[in-house]
This record gives sequence, C-alpha cells and structure tokens, in this order.
Amino acid sequence: MRSGGSSSLRSAALIAAAVLCFGPAARAAKNQPPPQWALDLLKTSVPAFTGDPAAVILSDEYVETVDAQGRATEREREAIRILKPQGRERGCAVSFDVDEKLNYFRAWTVTADGKQFQAKNTDFVDFGDTTIPILLSTVKTRVLHPPAADIGATVFCESEELLAPYQQETVWSMQVNIPFVSEALEVDLPPGRNYAAHWHRYSPVAPTQVAPNHWRWELKNVPALDLSNVPVAPSWSALAARMTVTWGDAAVPDKSREWKAFGEYYTQLQEHRADPTPDIAAEAQKLTAGAPDFYSRLKDITQYIQKNIQYFIVERGIGGLQSHFAGDVFRNRYGDCKDKTTLLISMLQAIGIQAYYMPVDDRRGVIDPDDPSLAVGNHMITAIQIPATVNDPRLLAVVKGTTGTRYLIFDPTNERTPVGNLPDYEQGSYALLAAGADSQVVALPVLPPTANGEERTGTFALAADGSLSGTVEISSTGPTGADTRLALKYTDPTEQRSELEKAVASDLPGVTLVSYKFTQPADLDQPLDLTYKIAVPQYAHTAGPLLLVRPRPVGDDAMPFSDKPRTEPIDLHATGRWHDSFDIALPPGYAVDELPDPVALDTDFASYHSTTTVKGGVLHFDRVYTVRKIGLPASRAADFRSFEGAIVEDQQEAVVLKKQAAASKPAL
Amino acid sequence: MRKPHLLVGAALVAAMLPLFAHAQFQQPTPEELKMTSDPKAPGAAAVYLDIAETTDDNLHYKSYYARIKVLTEKGKSLANVEIPYAGEFKVTDIKARTIHSDGTIIPLDVKPENLLSFKDGNTKFGKMVFTLPSVEVGSILEYRYQLRYPDEWVSSPEWKIQRDYFVHKEHYSFIPFASFLKGSQASSSHYLYDEATGQTLNTLIWMSRLPAGTPPLTGDTTGRYTLDLTDIPARPDEEWMPPIDSLLYKVQFYYKGSYNATDFWQDEGKRWSKQVDHFAQPSSNLRQAVAGIIAPSDTDLVKAQKIYAAVEALNNTDYSRARSQSEMQQLKIKPAKRAEDVWTQKGGNSNEIALLYLAMLRAAGLKAYAIKVVDRDQALFDASYLDRDQFNDVLVLFKDGSKETVLDPGEKLCPFGTVNWRHSNTYGLAQTDQGPAFGKTPDQPYTANSTTRTGNITIDEHGAITGYITQIMSGQQALRWRQMELENDDTAVKKAFDRELQQIVPAGVDAHIDHFLGMDDPSANLIAMINVKGSMGAATGKRMLLPGFFFESRATEPFVQQEKRLEAIDMHYGDRVSDQITYHFPATMSVEGAPQDAKVSWPKQAIYLSQSKSGPGQITVTRVIIRGFDYLKPSDYQELRGFYQKVAASDQQEVVLHAAPSAKGN
Repeated sequence: MRSGGSSSLRSAALIAAAVLCFGPAARAAKNQPPPQWALDLLKTSVPAFTGDPAAVILSDEYVETVDAQGRATEREREAIRILKPQGRERGCAVSFDVDEKLNYFRAWTVTADGKQFQAKNTDFVDFGDTTIPILLSTVKTRVLHPPAADIGATVFCESEELLAPYQQETVWSMQVNIPFVSEALEVDLPPGRNYAAHWHRYSPVAPTQVAPNHWRWELKNVPALDLSNVPVAPSWSALAARMTVTWGDAAVPDKSREWKAFGEYYTQLQEHRADPTPDIAAEAQKLTAGAPDFYSRLKDITQYIQKNIQYFIVERGIGGLQSHFAGDVFRNRYGDCKDKTTLLISMLQAIGIQAYYMPVDDRRGVIDPDDPSLAVGNHMITAIQIPATVNDPRLLAVVKGTTGTRYLIFDPTNERTPVGNLPDYEQGSYALLAAGADSQVVALPVLPPTANGEERTGTFALAADGSLSGTVEISSTGPTGADTRLALKYTDPTEQRSELEKAVASDLPGVTLVSYKFTQPADLDQPLDLTYKIAVPQYAHTAGPLLLVRPRPVGDDAMPFSDKPRTEPIDLHATGRWHDSFDIALPPGYAVDELPDPVALDTDFASYHSTTTVKGGVLHFDRVYTVRKIGLPASRAADFRSFEGAIVEDQQEAVVLKKQAAASKPAL
Repeated sequence: MRKPHLLVGAALVAAMLPLFAHAQFQQPTPEELKMTSDPKAPGAAAVYLDIAETTDDNLHYKSYYARIKVLTEKGKSLANVEIPYAGEFKVTDIKARTIHSDGTIIPLDVKPENLLSFKDGNTKFGKMVFTLPSVEVGSILEYRYQLRYPDEWVSSPEWKIQRDYFVHKEHYSFIPFASFLKGSQASSSHYLYDEATGQTLNTLIWMSRLPAGTPPLTGDTTGRYTLDLTDIPARPDEEWMPPIDSLLYKVQFYYKGSYNATDFWQDEGKRWSKQVDHFAQPSSNLRQAVAGIIAPSDTDLVKAQKIYAAVEALNNTDYSRARSQSEMQQLKIKPAKRAEDVWTQKGGNSNEIALLYLAMLRAAGLKAYAIKVVDRDQALFDASYLDRDQFNDVLVLFKDGSKETVLDPGEKLCPFGTVNWRHSNTYGLAQTDQGPAFGKTPDQPYTANSTTRTGNITIDEHGAITGYITQIMSGQQALRWRQMELENDDTAVKKAFDRELQQIVPAGVDAHIDHFLGMDDPSANLIAMINVKGSMGAATGKRMLLPGFFFESRATEPFVQQEKRLEAIDMHYGDRVSDQITYHFPATMSVEGAPQDAKVSWPKQAIYLSQSKSGPGQITVTRVIIRGFDYLKPSDYQELRGFYQKVAASDQQEVVLHAAPSAKGN
C-alpha cells in the first residue's frame, strides 16, 4: 500500500521542516550496544503458543521503586520477538502526564542474523491524547518505531519514569494480545511500608523476597487473549488477567478494609468539590418546587443534569481522578462523569438528599471485588441514599450497603437512562461506594426483564403481486429506549432516516420508508415511541403456485453465535422483554397451505415463544422474547447455541399460501 | 494552511502593525435568537450564521471567526472547538461566548488547553481546545482566534468554503505578501524564495471551486482579495462517492514562480521528466543486470515481462518496512538517488521500483516512459491547481511497436499488463516523444475483474448443511487479498476472508476458508477453497424453504435505500460476479418452487441474470451480475438504483422443497 495522507498534514509538515532547516545539524550520537540483560534474553527460545501469534514478548519486567514518601519510580525492560509481518506493529510505548517524568526511554533491535541497531531520537514519536474530541487529556505517549524490525528480529526497550506523587498502586496487565514467555513485577518498598496484591482471572502466585522488603512476582508462558472471532464475548478488559499492587494507605490485609480505604481516600480527595453554591442551591430548589415525592425530586434534578450538562473534559494530572468544583460545572454546563456526579451530589445535597461518588467501569466485569483497586475503572456514577421511609417501585436500581442503608444507583453521564433504572452495561458490575467510613465495594443490581424492552406492533396488507404495505409501531422502555434516545440526540433527521431505512431494509430489501415519526416524551421514564409506514414491492415470493410469506416482516431477536468450542463466558448484553404482534391481511384468492409450527423455548436465562395463526384472511404473528440473565458461563455454550439456533430458524419461517382455483363460470 | 515560503530580507513588520482587523462579536437579531429550524437547511443540527477568515501575509497572521446557531442536541457538539496548528504557529486571542435564545450572554472564562497532537524529530503539531459554556439547543455560539506565524514566513490561505453544516454567510479576505500588492514591488526589498525548487516566487495564483454564478475572484485596487458568499450547502455524505475533498467548494492561494497554468505545467513537466530521466538513467551496472535477466532472443514483450518479474521480486518497502533514518545511518546506506541504487539495495518504495523498471527497460533497449498519476482513491486531478504534488504514484508506459501498455510495477503482485484500480481511469503527467503531457490511464473492463463462486451443498431433512465452495478471483479482488497477505500472513488473511464470508452467507451457516491456491502467483487466478456447514432455511411440516441465492440472502446490494443522489458514483472498477450453487437434498424431497429465471438489464451499464435448474435430488441456482461501469454522474442515479432494486428483490427468492415427491405436472 502506498502512503497517502491528507494534504493539510503534508503541508503542515513542510512548515515545520522549514523551521528546522535553520537549526544546527543534529550530531549523530554514538551507537551504544544492547545492554547485557538484552543480550542474555537473545538466547530465549520461543515455546509453542496457541493462536499462531504475530509476535511474542520474550520478557517484560517492571520494577517499582517506592521512596519514603510513597512516590514510585517505574523501570520497565521489555523484549519482543517479531514472528510475522503484522508483528512489526507491536512496539514499545510509555505514557506520561504532567505530574510524571520520563527519565529515559532507550531501545535496540537485534536482527535474526545478529545485527545490532540502537533506536535514535528520530525513531520515537510523541502522541497527545487528543483523538476523542470530548475526552482529552494532557497525557502524552512516546511510541517507538524500532529500527530493523523485520521478522525474526528482537526489539529491546528500557524506560524509567517517575510516577505521579498521588499514584500509590500499579496495575500489572500480565495478559495482552500476544503471549509472554516470561514476565515479572518487582516492588521495592522502603522499610516499614506494606503492600497488598490481588489477582484478577489468574491463579495467585506467591512473590519471592529478593531483598529486604523488595518483592518479585514472576510468570512464565502466559497466553494471549484474542477475542476477535468470539461472538457475544464480555469486554476484553474484563477477561484479561491482571494483578494490582498497592503500597499506600490502602495496603491493608483485608480486602473489604482495602476497598474501604480506597473509598475513604476518594471521599477525602473530593472533599468540598460538591459543596453547593447559592446558585446551585437556588436552581435545585426551583427544579424541585412542588415535587410530590422523593422520586419526583430525584427525577427533576437528574433530568436537569442529563439534559443540560454537556460531556467535555481535558484531564490534567490528578484531574483524571478528581472532579472540578460543582460551582464551575454548574456555571459552564459541561464536564466529565466525575463532574456530572459532583453537580448531582451538590444539587441533591441542596435539597437534603445525601449522595456519594461511585467509581466503576463501564465494561461489565472489569471491577473485581477480589481485586481492590482505584486504578482499575474508567467511570464515575452516583449512589443516592434512599430514606428509610421511601419504598417506591420506580426505584429499581437499588443496592443495600453493609450497614443496611439503601442506595439508588444512577449514572448522570448516560443522558437518557431515567433515574430508577440503570444502563445495561453497568448492571451486574461491581463499584466502589466512596462514602467515607461507610465505603465498600458493591454489586450493582441486574434489573428484571420488565425494566427494559420493546413492544412492536404492525398492521400490513399483502397484495397478490407480493407487495406489502403497512405501519409499524414500536414502544421502547429502559436501556433500549435510552439507547434510541441517545442515537436521536446525536443524529440529525437525515441521518435518522438513513439509519432507520438501513435497519428496516435489513429485514425488507427494497423497502421504501413512506414516513416515520419518533415521539419522545420530555420525561425520560416514559417510553419512546416510533411509528413508521413502509411499502415493499416484492415481499412475498412466488414459487410455482405458491406464495411464500414471512409472518415476521421486521425485527431480529437473534444474537450471533458460532459452533466453535467456547472457553469464554457469554455476554447476553441486557435483560429485557421484546414483544412482537403483527397482522398481515392476505390477498384474496389465496388460502393458507401451511403455517410454521409454534416455538416455545424456556431456559433459566431466556425464553422465546412464537405463534403464527390465520383468521378471517389475516395472518397473525406473535412472539415474546425474554432475557432473564446478563451472562452465562462458557460451559453453557451448547444451551446458548441451541437457543439462538431455534430463533434463527423461527425467523426464517414462512407461511405457504396457495392460489385457489377460480370459481367456474355460471352456466348459460 | 498552505506551504510556507521563506521571506528573504530584513524584517518589515513593525510599521504595519496597526492594520489588524478581525471580526468583532455581533449582536444577534431577534430572528436569529428565536430560530428553531432553518428552512434553508431542513433538519440540520446546526447552521453557521457567519464564518470569516482573514489572512495577512505581511503581518503574518490569520484570524478566524464563526457564529453558529445550535438547532438540535447533536448541534451542541459544535461547542467543542479544536484549533490544530503546526510547528511554530501560535494560537492567540481566543475569545468565545454563548448566547442563549433569551439573549443571555455567557462568555468563555476558562483558559483553553494547549495539547500536543504529534511530535517527532522533525515535526510538531498541537491543538488548542476549548468548549463554549452553557450551551443549549437554541444557543448561538460565537468565537474568534488568531493564528500567528513567524516573521520570516508567509502562508497563503486555503478557504474551505463547504463545511459539515450549512453556512449562511462567509467572508474571506487575504492580503498577500507586500511584493504582490499593487505599487509595492518597487519599494519592497523583500522577495519570496521556495527552498524546495530554488525558485524566486513572483506570482500569486489561486485555484477556486465556487458555486455557480459566483463572480470571478479578483484583487481590489490595493491587492487585497475578498470573497463573500451566502447559502453554502453542507458537505455531502453518500456511499460510493469519489474523493469528496476534490469536489467541495474552496479557494486555495499560493505563490508560484510561473505566470500561468500553461507555463507552470510546461516547466514542471520538464523538471519532472528531467528528474525521472536522471533517476532512471540506465547505468552500466543496470545494463549488466538486465543482461542477466533477459535473453537476446526474447521478444520485446518477453523482455519487458522478465524485467517486470525481476523488479516485482524486490523488497517493496511500501508492503514490508521502510528503513528508518537511524537504521540507514547505522547501516551506512544512503537514500536511493538513482535506479541503480534501488537495484543494489534490492528494494525501495513503490515509486523507486517503478522508476527502476523504467531504467531497466531502457537499459534493455526498449521504449518506455514514466507516468505519474493521481491516486483515484485519494483525489481527483485539477489542472487549474498548479501543484505537481497532486500526482502521487509512478506507472510505466511500455511501447511494444505501436502497442502501448500501462504497467504498475510499484504495486506488489500486480500482474503484468494491469494496474491497481486506484491508478486506472485517472489523470497523470506522462513522458511522451513530444515531451511531457497530461494523460489519462484506461479504465478497467469488467472482464479483467471477476469473482466466480461454485459450490455444492448437501442439506438433510432438518436443514443441516455441509458442503464446499470454490471461489475463483481475478483482477482487483485477487490483488487485494494477495497484498493483504504481504502485510500480514496467511492466518490473518484467512481470518479476514472468513469475516467477509460470514457477513454474506445465510444466517446459521458457518463458512470458513480452508486454503488458498495461487496466492503467490499473480499471473494465475487466486482460488479460495471454502468449507460450509451449519443449518439453513426453515422447515415446515411439509416443506423446507431455502434461500435461493446463497450469497445474497443478507441483502447487501448498494443504493437500494437511498432515494436521491447529490454526488457522482465511483464504484472503482467494473467487474463480474458469478455464482453457481447446487443444493443436494434427500431423495424424499422434491423441488416445489424455485427462483424464477430473471434478466435485469441496464443497457451498456450492467446486467443481471439468474436461472435455476432442478433435477432429482438437486437444484442448481445460477446468478451473474456484470457491472460495466466504474463512474457515473448523479443524473444516472435513478437508473442505477432501479437496477439494484430489481436485483435485490430477485435475490430474496427462495427454493421450496416438498417433503414428498411432487405430482407430475404440478
């Protein structure tokens, strides 16, 4: 492939080149040979790994040296052997923020035939964290483009970085998308300082003490984690093995105490951030004036934040953990998840409702109750304390703390999931309730199927030429409705029509979308309605004297699956209930010759019932698909395949119509 | 932002500072405040009320101003502003405010963040970012800023007139470097100098693509250029568009050392041709190498083919890896300055290899010329834009007697006699007997690009299937998979092939490539041997319903959904796709219904044929679609769509198997 690139980039590059032409010519530094640790690793043989990897990490060793104040310096030494052309893409990189300092980053390549190369300044590129326009940070990543990175070559990298002063733990990601032959983590602590280490999806390995209070964990032959061809897999990060080590105040022996310590730290970090300003208090009072009950007050406040606070952030240093002050967020009306939570806590506080920060991850399964950590996780939601006297069935996403206090879990960053409900990707996760002395890890609820889903009804007329016309009405609730509302928010009518056309056309090729209308009630807890009219020129197909009609004009409930052996859990995405009720008026002169058999599937994780009937020249299709669980272990793969296969088959069923002989002419 | 040029002479800016002018914030009208939609842009998420850009190459700054009306939630995203800048440019004087529909003004009081985008040893790009405060649907967003560049630079502007959203009013202004201002030449001791060419720049030129009816752009009496436009439509976004950046409205200024387009292209053509001839000069070493490749008794065509195979076998670094600067230094290798260097180093990039091929043909005494073409996937050629960098890739024209063949030796694994589609039906600068001239490469006939899928699938009474399919590819499809394997490996290519298969086979079917044949031989067809299994269709009490067209049941035909078309259609190359799938079923079943034979013809453009033929225990369904065109005008769209709608409808037909043999004549 020849190089392309935008013209603006090219011209900009020339601009910079023009500047540099005035500078003194860079003096070539003298080549340094690879260090001994690298030369020693050259002899490493690569064992057979499954998955035919493009590269392997021969060795990757971190040493965290912690000083008396708890500040760490991290050294990494890594050796990567390239096995395939695409393995060249696996290089070394080091990220650093404004509170950190990259002391050095050096690299060498030794080719398959033993030639040695040292990476020079021109082989490194710095990238800023600016790819997502609303989620920016001051983090920079220095990436190595190693010289002579051909198949069979080994790339050695060595870096040292002074970590941020507030970083008191490290996450050792010991599983990546290529295998490790050997890897190790060392933590060198000052006398008297403790550590706590926990493992996620890996059998714990005991460390060896290589020097006083200097610990080393070592692993051999860790396979890659490749989910690229695994349908309905949980998040990659949820399945990847890791170990976390903390050496700060949270380094206590008991996991629940450790979670509590993290929660106390976070509570302290956010102290006064959520203090309501007079403006905030006034707005909160105004919004909730006349609200008849606790739920209504919550709804008034949460909808205000969901609808009025834009998502935008430039994180700088500790700003990755700590929010802005509520007053600033309220005035500017933008912020990230921490800021939105801060404003929510502040507004609730102004009307006498207590709420707390809740660090979480928006990928179910990443936070592990057995792996206490504040560094793992990428999101912030809110835990709202429910008064003991309140028992409102609209408050679905409720958890109970160890003290018996009930909390309503709410995500103010999700702009369309109503208070009381919870985004499906957070259901079944774990989160840290940062509530001072009451801090704890909490399992987020999985809501019942009735809290999510769609009612789809359709009335159609089929003509003898096979054309179909009709109207479809869809009413969406819970996370399904929220997803549609979000899609509507971020698209314009032209895009909405185009997306709807594509979705309908996947069931009805050649369809014309005659009209459509979305109805969004202002209250997020009300269903989102969609009505559209369609015309399809050739819906039913003739086959000899037969006319074949699929009784399900639209709607696909099947999830992808494969026959391959499965070792990964199955992610069912969300609980919910989806109901179809379609009527198709049949053309005169045709009689039903054959109807699909009804389908009734009932399992512990889902059920599927469909029937096709005919009455008075109208074909009626009715089905209910209910998902009761959000996931299954890999051992249930056969059950899942069987269930989904039956849905696929049912969705392909057709009603066979046969043309009736014309009535004989009356005798003259 | 355009190429800068060095300003030679003493600094001259101090006396000119008072001339700053940038758009001031303006009071919105009551109509603008109340506006909830825009009849000129129905359904738009936002519209630009005003855009203004000013460039002054004497004061070395550009100023930008925008006023935006937010009409929907999506339009609020325009509150996030990113100002990219390069090198020594500085972003200054950022002012911004939000005006609510009730007239309330909320100024930006947060310091914008200055972030790094990219930095290496030679270049640096940054990005100044901020978001406007308190944005609501109905808000007006207003901001301005300046970009300043060093005193020794000029930076003629590129006015990007067409944006992602409709624009009501645009105002542009450009004050060129003083020597180009009327009456200034005599008094100025400064001149512009292009480092790359060594030319003194004496002409200000602009390329413009403007809405119909826009008066020609001219400078005023002082030499200032201004442009005022109204009602500019949003940038289109449609499937199978040509490179859209080549079609959008814009004006691009630049300083050149020539007076007009004819002079420019003549000069540049000569310069380029001279550089080509210099690089591709057949040295004695090359002649010696060629002598080892060809035999004196070979015909010219065979000689050209043998040399082609030799250069194709070299390490093309565009498909493997280019040596880094430090690696070259450590190996004591210098960048190739002559074709001979490419041969000696046993590799180079695509253009270097193409020029090596040219040199070796010439060394063999054959007649050959270079053509440098526009990559049709990236851009369209515009002769009024005087920039040779429009041409990207080098091809070679081989003349065998009166027969001319365009060759693409820089495309690894491209068969002799053909080119990558990106180099077909595109303009280029060509060497000819009469000197350099513009030329256009031929388009690709459908006969050159074919995919033929032949399969046998056995299905049992429950719908379980097993079988195999042979997919034979020639032309562009074969080239695509072969080049993918160069940059990856067999396993990765198989995975990618499987992913594409899985998107088109019927639901419930697992299709997997077993192996490829001919992957390394560009002169042969590429064959994929595919295994299929799983379940398919639906079984009723008496019947089984199967998709009539195995590869088309997922309805992936283009254009079917899009009613209207704004832009031309570029489908890259003509091709022919043929399927012949035979279903074998139990003897207890018979065919009760089959897809009707169909012929959909779009004269001189495309044709679709389908046919089914059944016999005891089997039915064979054949489908052929031939697309003779690669590029169509928007006016052809309704016929194009009509063709694909008919194809899509036909493709949904089914095979009906009856559980017992049908009565004769039924």
